[in-house]
Amino acid sequence: MTDETATDQDTRGDGAGGPAAAVPAGGVAGGGPADPGPDGSVPHDTFAVPDPPAGRLGRARDALLVVWLAVVLLVVFQGGAVREGAEELAPGVGRDIVEAVGGPTGWVADRLPFSDPADDVFARLETAGGPAAAPSGGGGGGAAALTLLVTGDSLEMPLDTELARRYAGSEVTVERDAHVGTGISKSGLVDWSQLSRRQARRFEPGAVVVFIGANEGFPLPAPGGGGQVPCCGAEWQAAYAARVGELIETYRRGGAEHVYWLTVPAPRDGARQEITDAVNAAVLAAVEAAGDGAEAIDLVEPFTPGGDYRDAIEVDGRERIVRESDGIHLNADGAAVAADLVEQAIAADRGE
Amino acid sequence: MVFPSIEFAIFFPIVLALSWALMPWPRFWKPFILVASYGFYAAASPRYCLLLAAITIANQLGAVGVHRTASERARRWIVGVTVAFDLAVLGVFKYYGFFTDEIGGFLDTIGLGMPLPLLTLALPIGLSFITFQAISYTVDVKRGLLAPARTLDFAVYLSFFPHVVAGPIVRAREFLPQLAKPRDPRTVAVGAGVVLIVLGLIKKVVLADVLARQVVDPVFGVPLAYAGPDVWLAAYAYAAQIYCDFSGYTDIAIGVALLAGFIFPQNFNSPYRATSFGDFWRRWHITLSRFLRDFLYIPLGGNRGGRWRTARNLMITMVLGGLWHGAAWGFVLWGTVHGLALVVEHQWRFWRARAAAEPDSPGAAAVRAVGRVFAPAWVRWAVVFNVVTFAWVLFRAESLTLAGDFFGQLFVAGPATLWTPLTVAAVVVVIGFQLLPPNPLERLRLRFASLPAPALGVVLAVVVAIVGATVPGDGVPPFIYFQF
Repeated sequence: MTDETATDQDTRGDGAGGPAAAVPAGGVAGGGPADPGPDGSVPHDTFAVPDPPAGRLGRARDALLVVWLAVVLLVVFQGGAVREGAEELAPGVGRDIVEAVGGPTGWVADRLPFSDPADDVFARLETAGGPAAAPSGGGGGGAAALTLLVTGDSLEMPLDTELARRYAGSEVTVERDAHVGTGISKSGLVDWSQLSRRQARRFEPGAVVVFIGANEGFPLPAPGGGGQVPCCGAEWQAAYAARVGELIETYRRGGAEHVYWLTVPAPRDGARQEITDAVNAAVLAAVEAAGDGAEAIDLVEPFTPGGDYRDAIEVDGRERIVRESDGIHLNADGAAVAADLVEQAIAADRGE
Repeated sequence: MVFPSIEFAIFFPIVLALSWALMPWPRFWKPFILVASYGFYAAASPRYCLLLAAITIANQLGAVGVHRTASERARRWIVGVTVAFDLAVLGVFKYYGFFTDEIGGFLDTIGLGMPLPLLTLALPIGLSFITFQAISYTVDVKRGLLAPARTLDFAVYLSFFPHVVAGPIVRAREFLPQLAKPRDPRTVAVGAGVVLIVLGLIKKVVLADVLARQVVDPVFGVPLAYAGPDVWLAAYAYAAQIYCDFSGYTDIAIGVALLAGFIFPQNFNSPYRATSFGDFWRRWHITLSRFLRDFLYIPLGGNRGGRWRTARNLMITMVLGGLWHGAAWGFVLWGTVHGLALVVEHQWRFWRARAAAEPDSPGAAAVRAVGRVFAPAWVRWAVVFNVVTFAWVLFRAESLTLAGDFFGQLFVAGPATLWTPLTVAAVVVVIGFQLLPPNPLERLRLRFASLPAPALGVVLAVVVAIVGATVPGDGVPPFIYFQF
């Protein structure tokens, strides 16, 4: 590489295109050559409408043709994806709009013979971006070795990392498997019944920590059949508890001697509070029904005493912010508090 | 709303069609695009639209006020109050938590109590970009470089959906003239726009996100769990990831704007090709660099006050540039490292010039000897690239403790558990492409951009479908620069 070629590069758009760099030599960093004269006018006068990128110019109707042709092709080959995508969105205007579009696009795709072949082709690509295994333990294989699976939705993400850091180099290997945006009461994105079976096979955990509940509140099938039950009454709680119990049992059958299920601290948004209360009630009921080896770790009292939301709590004698700005998730300090509780529970069960 | 999402795939074709349909009539087009842009912005949270509107009104009042005021003292006051308002908004939302937690915590520790309640405030998406653009408008009007725009035009400029959430930081003088008359529907850079969108999607979803999931997030999360080979890979993988993530976003933003008939400034220019730190900052986040230059470095005095003042100004600019990215000590240190690198580079240029002018001066021989070591461009490139790469560790690590763990693990022997063909190839491709001679790539780009519209449509559909298929069930992670 030479300085000459670097200069040539300045006329090229990054990753193809864009007008030539508007920054004069020196820029912020270079100082000397680009600095202004006494009147400070040099850099300021360099601003004007950027030049269009090099290459052939088309017409607006070409732009519309490109975009709408792509839309039509995507509807024909992948129209069902819009409908499925709508199921994953949180309730609101955005979801309503996507649902309104997803209905017709799905209908079109269902009636054409192109979706299935396209799905087969693209399904092969789905495995390429899967998460890496992230072992954190150093022992493995020893008599006291334990594989600890930490899983759940986005709630568990700072917690799993915190636990992995604490157990790094110990006989406990932490496997982190977060599934952001998923919920036990919504199965479009991830069906936790199936997922838990896959996790048990893949990680063979000796203990499991589950922290989930940020995306709940969707209708569930009634326990005895007979349609969908809306959140958040006793019947919904019973249905949710049945699913929690099923997951606990799956992990146990897969070899986990202990399943630690964390309750969800009260969220800031009052509208979510009812859902969180229902989830927590269901979890407590399910854990109690599951008996030995299942344990609920209560995060409501430490983080939101009396069920009242707060950003900060006292940690080690000092007030600290423990929640993220969304008023739902724990931040790093909050995760450390939760990790303390999990660590204590694990240590007690391991007789440490 | 993020670009790689179903919501945007529905939003954009409709808005694009209506935009071109209304383009000949600005009195209809401008309100339409304003409403569309606010709708785009409201997808994150409708409440933030109020803040965007407040910033728009405050800066328009400031710009009009300063334009109509003859007294220089009064003009300074008006601009000062307006910029203070912008910075206060930014400060409250972006730095309140940091201040109360760090400073308040310290005061509490020494018995003075917490000065402010501990609260977490959600940072409105794109706030840093919006406030910087607003400041540039008001200050440029004060400097006489720009006449105040009509309020509707200014509102469109500040909220225009392709750049509202993560830049590039388009200056008012670059954008407002494009609103002066309807965009010409016969001169639209369709091919270039589609190429940028396609490349941006691939950079973000295929390269950046795969590297994040496979290497970066695991290693930066728990550095102590990985040995040297994986930690080295993670350092280079993050350099590749952050480039692909941010430049991918701006590629899409620029491409989307081009299809709508608007031209944005370039934001990246093969930054890892740089052979000096000054060169790096002319290639990385160009629109932020020039903002900091024009509104911080030069007002501080630039290089006009001698070597020490230049060094001071560089350090202030880069440290504040680091802090702009977020309220954390890692960003401050990252800016400090770059500031020091620039100061050293400046000093080196001075010494080299003096050694050339006075060959017998003390130290001239040593300067010439060191100069010979750094004479080959590849040596300078290697130094710059590696300093930049390892400075990113401070930027990415969640805490200085974890950054320390990361550096500490670099020389720990152990297995390379994350070196898969996919991850290594992704890093090599991202870095390597920036080192290739530009002309063949440029020819390839032009050839691709010259495809007929139907072919471009097919390519776009195929790429969107492939990108969609590589997205895991959890969806596309947010762009890194959304948090800034």
